[in-house]
Amino acid sequence: MQPKKDAGISRREFLKLSAVAAAALAVGGGGAGAALSMFGQSNAPAALSNDERLNFYGAHQAGIITAQQKYLYLGSFRIITDSKADLISMLKEWTKFSTLAAAGGYRKSSGNNLLPPADSGEAMDLGAAKLTITYGFGESFFLDDGKDRFGAAGRKPSHLSRIPRMPKDHLDPAFQAGDIAVQVCADDQQIAFHALRNLIRLASGTAILNWMEEGFTSAPPDGKTPRNLFGFKDGTANKLHQSDFDEVVWAGTGEPEWMRGGSYLAYRKIRMLLEVWDRSSLKAQEDTFGRSKESGAAYGAVGEFDPVPVSEQPVDSHVALAKQSRQSIHRRAYSYTGAIEPRTGQLDAGLLFLSYQRNPQEQFIPMLRLMQSRDRLNEYTQHIASALYACPAGVREGEYIGQSLLKDI
Amino acid sequence: MNNQTQALKVLSLSGIILLSACSNATNSNEASNSATTAPAADGQAVDSTIKDSTVKMKAETTKLQDALSKQDGDQVKALGKGINELWLSYENTVRQSFPLEYTEVEKYEMPIFSASAYDKIDFTSLTVTAQNLMGALEKLEQAKPSSESSSELLDKAVANYEAFVKEQATSFAAATKTFAAAVKSGDAEKAKLEYTKARVYFETIEPVAESFGDLDPRIDARLADVENEKDWTGYHRIEKALWADKSLKGQDVYADQLVKDTEELEGKIQDIKLNAKTMVAGAIELINEASTSKITGEEEIFSKTDLVDLAANINGSKTVYLAIIPALNEHNPDLATGIDKQFQDMESLLRSYQENGSYIAYDKLTTEQIRELSDKLSQLSELMTQTAAIL
Repeated sequence: MQPKKDAGISRREFLKLSAVAAAALAVGGGGAGAALSMFGQSNAPAALSNDERLNFYGAHQAGIITAQQKYLYLGSFRIITDSKADLISMLKEWTKFSTLAAAGGYRKSSGNNLLPPADSGEAMDLGAAKLTITYGFGESFFLDDGKDRFGAAGRKPSHLSRIPRMPKDHLDPAFQAGDIAVQVCADDQQIAFHALRNLIRLASGTAILNWMEEGFTSAPPDGKTPRNLFGFKDGTANKLHQSDFDEVVWAGTGEPEWMRGGSYLAYRKIRMLLEVWDRSSLKAQEDTFGRSKESGAAYGAVGEFDPVPVSEQPVDSHVALAKQSRQSIHRRAYSYTGAIEPRTGQLDAGLLFLSYQRNPQEQFIPMLRLMQSRDRLNEYTQHIASALYACPAGVREGEYIGQSLLKDI
Repeated sequence: MNNQTQALKVLSLSGIILLSACSNATNSNEASNSATTAPAADGQAVDSTIKDSTVKMKAETTKLQDALSKQDGDQVKALGKGINELWLSYENTVRQSFPLEYTEVEKYEMPIFSASAYDKIDFTSLTVTAQNLMGALEKLEQAKPSSESSSELLDKAVANYEAFVKEQATSFAAATKTFAAAVKSGDAEKAKLEYTKARVYFETIEPVAESFGDLDPRIDARLADVENEKDWTGYHRIEKALWADKSLKGQDVYADQLVKDTEELEGKIQDIKLNAKTMVAGAIELINEASTSKITGEEEIFSKTDLVDLAANINGSKTVYLAIIPALNEHNPDLATGIDKQFQDMESLLRSYQENGSYIAYDKLTTEQIRELSDKLSQLSELMTQTAAIL
């Protein structure tokens, strides 16, 4: 669909935008005013084919229970200043840019053509493509080697700590958690990259990028569960808590105020040994997961979403162990591909495992430990990065990300 | 050799004097649009703080001169540090109120502080610097708020910078002659020493030198830049002979050519006309040079003296920054403060990689140390690009 120039918003486009606004309400609860004000963005383009917009503001951050977009960029930043004022001014710039990018806009230049353009420009005329930008704080933001850098140590959330060493960890020291994580997702890869790239520029002098990962996922059009690079459905269990986000995802009582309505992001970069996997028999593959590869049904069940008959699973299968932990998490994983390993010629590819939960110590870490020590999947995987972040509650219009964490200290 | 070096040092300092020579001329008719007057309300208080601190600086500098004449190394080091601390305590106020005088003090104060970190002190050279610092402080003590318009100040900045570039080109040609003579006499150790010294002049004004067609590749091409190795000439050709081949055999022809080429470059630079745009663009390009070819160790693959080049790029860029402070004060004083802090950070980090006044070899740096330098360069570059707002 080509955008109509000078024709205002057509009825069809208006209906579409209304639907998006409604979705934004459902997701973020940002209020109709906030959703409608997006039309007022002067430098946001008229409706384009991939211009579905999700509100940045809301009671919760977008990008957590938002239906998964196709592309992910995950960036870890290290704050290089001790000045709280500089930190806050960067967070304000980031917030301003996030609302602009979520509305499909871009930064306006000053008009002096001897200066570099304010915006790198590759997202111009592309729309928003459901862009979400989600922020989380790492443990070192609060206490770095025992140092309370921004006076926020007293507000460290209850369950934020380093993920303990696990059996079979192959963690690369280059992938430290860092102080701030930014998860950027969109249905268009260029739009997603544009957002992270400009956040890096806006951070200059205050924070630097430690590392960046890019991921992709492709779901069948009819709402079926997407598959990972082993060819198995990934995220089936998410369907089981669709109405229980308070139970599974949102942090609440016992947390500092800024974290109520927030969530913990657990991250593991898991390399998958694709060559070994591809040479394994279908039976070995299905035994590893405890599911049918094609239908996704657990052993002994008929459909993907049927209850899992645990007695039917191989004891060390992935599904059996997940069920044994009796915990739910909200998965938001993406696949990744990198270069080839020069000595072996094997692919560096796998899973950027991301999950959100209200209490990682209870929901995530025991599950991880169980799987790392016993999961048959370990024969085909290596965990190479690990991190935990506290993602604050959503931002209200006029506030900046992290404001309730940093105010009055 | 020593006398020759001294002469070069003095020559390079005289360029700095030239840089500030025009700064005393004021034009009281142009009171409007003033870029640099001190804040009216507390102007008096600011002025008296500056005066008081400058009197203290002068007293310390007198002690320094005394210690220098007694060749008392420990005392010189202690005073160098003390003078720097004193300067840092009020330099921001000076930069905003008397930018031209600020630039001059900054130029002489920095080398004195740097020397305090060296094991061996070059008393003769520091004596000249201390004398110049005293002169700069006297001017600062008597400074009156400038009443020139920002465009006049910018024109002056360009003229001063142009003089600086020309002087560097002259020093470069002279240093190249010394280098070539060492190469032709077969004295590899001396040639290595002179190589590094000469390159500083070139790297300080690299963007200007690069504007003359094939002259720059003849002087500065790296092996990776040339199509045919047999057409390769210039500094890096001899660098390979000195550090990789360890033989100066057959290098006379390159040494002779290099002298001709640098003299031609000097001649061309004497005729150039710079403007504010090229000056600012050059300053940004210098940082970009540092953050691409120098930080990766690609510039000096045989001699590993990349940090020398990198520091010269930074210094060249800082010279432009110092020249445009009056204009920056008018447009965006916060930017000037930010850049100032970033240069200080950068210089302090670079100082930590000096041993006995020389930079350590690039291959002695760890990946983390290179990354730290690179991050600082990025931040500096990001800020320096914003200086184009004054144009």
